[in-house]
Amino acid sequence: MRNPFHALGPQALGPQDRALLWSRLRRPARTFLALLALLAVNVTLGATRPFAQAWIVELAVVAVMAAIIILVSMEVRHEAPLVRLFAGVGFFWVAILFGMTLTDYLAR
Amino acid sequence: MSADCIGADPVGVTRAEHFAAVAQQRHAATLGMWAWLLTELLLFSGLFLTALILRLLHPEAVQAAAGHLKFWIGAVNTVVLLCSSLTMSAAIELSRLGLQRLMVGCLLATASLGLLFLVLKGYEYVADYEEHMMPFLARRPYALAEQPATRLFVNLYYVATALHAVHLVTGIAILLGLTWKASRPGFLLRHQNWIEVYGLYWHFIDLIWIIAFPVLYVVNR
Amino acid sequence: MSSAGTLHGDAAARDPHIPAPTLDRPEDYLHAESTLRSWFFTTDHKRIALLYLASITAFFVIGAVAAGFVRLALVVPNGAIMTNDTYNKAFTIHGVVMVWFFLIPSIPNTFGNFLIPLMIGAKDLAFPRLNLASWYVFMAGALFTLVSVVLGGVDTGWTFYAPLSTAFSNTWVLPALIGVTIVGFSSILTGLNFVVTIHTMRAPGMTWFRLPIFVWTHYATSLIFLLATPVITIALILLIAERAFHVGVFDPAYGGDPVLFQHLFWFYSHPAVYIMVLPGMGVISEIVPAFAQKKLFGYRFVAYAAIGLASVTFFVWGHHMFVNGQSDLASLAFSALSFAVAVPSAVKVYNWTATIHKGRLRLDTPMLYAIGYIGLFVLGGLTGLYLATLAINQHVHATYFVVAHFHYIMVGGTVLAFLGGLHFWWPKITGRMYSEPWGRISALFIFLGFNVTFFPQFILGYLGMPRRYATYPPEFQLLNVLSSAGSTILAAGYLFPMVYLVYALWFGRRAPGNPWDAKGLEWETTSPPPPHNFSQPPQVPEVPYDYPIQAQETGRQHT
Repeated sequence: MRNPFHALGPQALGPQDRALLWSRLRRPARTFLALLALLAVNVTLGATRPFAQAWIVELAVVAVMAAIIILVSMEVRHEAPLVRLFAGVGFFWVAILFGMTLTDYLAR
Repeated sequence: MSADCIGADPVGVTRAEHFAAVAQQRHAATLGMWAWLLTELLLFSGLFLTALILRLLHPEAVQAAAGHLKFWIGAVNTVVLLCSSLTMSAAIELSRLGLQRLMVGCLLATASLGLLFLVLKGYEYVADYEEHMMPFLARRPYALAEQPATRLFVNLYYVATALHAVHLVTGIAILLGLTWKASRPGFLLRHQNWIEVYGLYWHFIDLIWIIAFPVLYVVNR
Repeated sequence: MSSAGTLHGDAAARDPHIPAPTLDRPEDYLHAESTLRSWFFTTDHKRIALLYLASITAFFVIGAVAAGFVRLALVVPNGAIMTNDTYNKAFTIHGVVMVWFFLIPSIPNTFGNFLIPLMIGAKDLAFPRLNLASWYVFMAGALFTLVSVVLGGVDTGWTFYAPLSTAFSNTWVLPALIGVTIVGFSSILTGLNFVVTIHTMRAPGMTWFRLPIFVWTHYATSLIFLLATPVITIALILLIAERAFHVGVFDPAYGGDPVLFQHLFWFYSHPAVYIMVLPGMGVISEIVPAFAQKKLFGYRFVAYAAIGLASVTFFVWGHHMFVNGQSDLASLAFSALSFAVAVPSAVKVYNWTATIHKGRLRLDTPMLYAIGYIGLFVLGGLTGLYLATLAINQHVHATYFVVAHFHYIMVGGTVLAFLGGLHFWWPKITGRMYSEPWGRISALFIFLGFNVTFFPQFILGYLGMPRRYATYPPEFQLLNVLSSAGSTILAAGYLFPMVYLVYALWFGRRAPGNPWDAKGLEWETTSPPPPHNFSQPPQVPEVPYDYPIQAQETGRQHT
């Protein structure tokens, strides 16, 4: 254990263990690929600027990415209801902040 | 002791004195981190709101300013952070399986990707400096000086990215300390949930960047 | 220690580690250890509460002295007593210290820290080391700010409005801002600790509707700590950047908008009013049933009202900005929503009054403070409705009417609740009883002194005297002198408890576990409690506030 770099590779594992390991790592890998694909959409839109309303699509893509990270990567899907509530309540308060401030700026 | 066989070393959490049960302690730790992340979300929301208000007040100036940001560095940096999220998730899964050495490797990879992000960010700042895009420097000429309102958005970009970088620096420092502790024998037996709880924080600062990238670089182009 | 121990015979002879004072009475947290280290590095929530109590008392004294200077200057109309600069710095010290370093941490960080684990039957808060860290963060930020505002001087008022604070003030604004930003993190850490503790550390059987209202109001307060404080942090960070680097987002010269700072500032600072008020409401909800020996009327309504206040308060911040250039639509929306705050506030007041009704009333010191609180809070709350009305607000905006209104809430409300709570739980915290006659005298002094000080300010404001000015027309002098005279009575009222409570620490009668015949788990343990709060796991009663007299409530039985 002195040197954590020693035998880092999964070769040291037996075949069954390796299968279990890959089954556990499948979810993070898929999440990563999904996020990468969504990012590619946004980067393409940003680089080409195909139409004036592209920002709507871009923000929608970001919302999906945020949802994936919170629900899958941060495992909120599998958490207790209380933790899910905490994960959601912040966004509600952000909505209050934006909504009430915009009653000023959009109506000046 | 060999950690490279699943199930060889049991994984778990040792109960602290003031808790009645381990489940309670784990729940408290997760909830505490989420409560902290709530505050982080609202902290950065203030900056995103400011960006929106600037866009509403000065649409042309914000577009002109956003056109000067280094779009491709921002995009590459987003990919770097997505990779670090992947290695962090892997570290969490490995910690649950008790594969300590592999987990330590993943944690180190996560910290390195975080450092790579900072290096790229630093390179971006240098490029900005050379292009005279630092309006907050009183003595240096500013490229868009004829449009005074552009400096608001450019300066906001520095406040937002610097604040994110501060979070990343803190995150990497804590991560390295955690990795050092986590590489010692028996760590996963006593504090396995530290990896999970820390992972929440790391994913969240990635999430903040994933929101900040389009808000600053993309939607205003 | 060993010589004292031998006097008490065998136990100490066998085990020299037993501290002497615990030999003749149950072990308690105060005497468990006595080194300086055991205080400054403690993780015991009760000791941390006392660290906070000592610090905020010191800050209160500093803030009160600054208020004394302000009242002294206003005795004469022409500002001859001190320079305008000194006057501006004095009211800024008063505001900054009282708001950020006394009122916000006052009840939550002392009584909340001490009582929440006791009331829910836990050994400690969920994160004891974080709790200690929160005190250090608080002290670091507070002392840093204090040095800047007292030695350097700042003249912006506690609100730090841009562009005065960013472009025009030539005082030590930057360090003061940095200090206040740091103190915010202490609030966040405390709020986080309370929320997690109340969710996860309740004793078996302690369901949400068996919790004392004190815990409910602290839960609501902690939510505000968590959800509002980060927004002021970012507002202050932007303000620091603005002052240091001329970022420009709040600077009209570059096309920035100072009103945006006010939005971000009041998104926190209006809810912060409820950070100051809600814990006080919790204290009153404990004192009133105990001294009426009657079950709290409408327990569930009082609990829901706490959560209601904490939520509604996030929708009303714009009522501070009616004349500051925000849109008419925003003013209309914020005004209408502000009236909604009256509903949960009134629910609480009616429920306290209904609890007193036909109770077996004992007018001991804590109850005197509680009754004073209810009356002054009603006055402060009702004048709040005046201020929420757009047309009246145009007339009295930024006048002494506003000053009087929020002092009725902050001093008449929070400070009276703080003192009431201090007297109510003093026997529990210290294990000693204080002098009851002196307690009653000081309560009366404070009530009288407070009203003489602040009621004239309603009239002054209504007549048009603006706040924060060092001079005023000569016809306002009578009311100003009356107000300044009242503040001396108030000061005497504050001084008495500092003397007789400290005296009681050494010479007071030993307090029994439950001197008031009060209900609640904190009264089940010894006074002062042992280091881990309960020598045996506490039995949670099925009904909260199970006092001998029950209200004749019709309809659904509340459990």
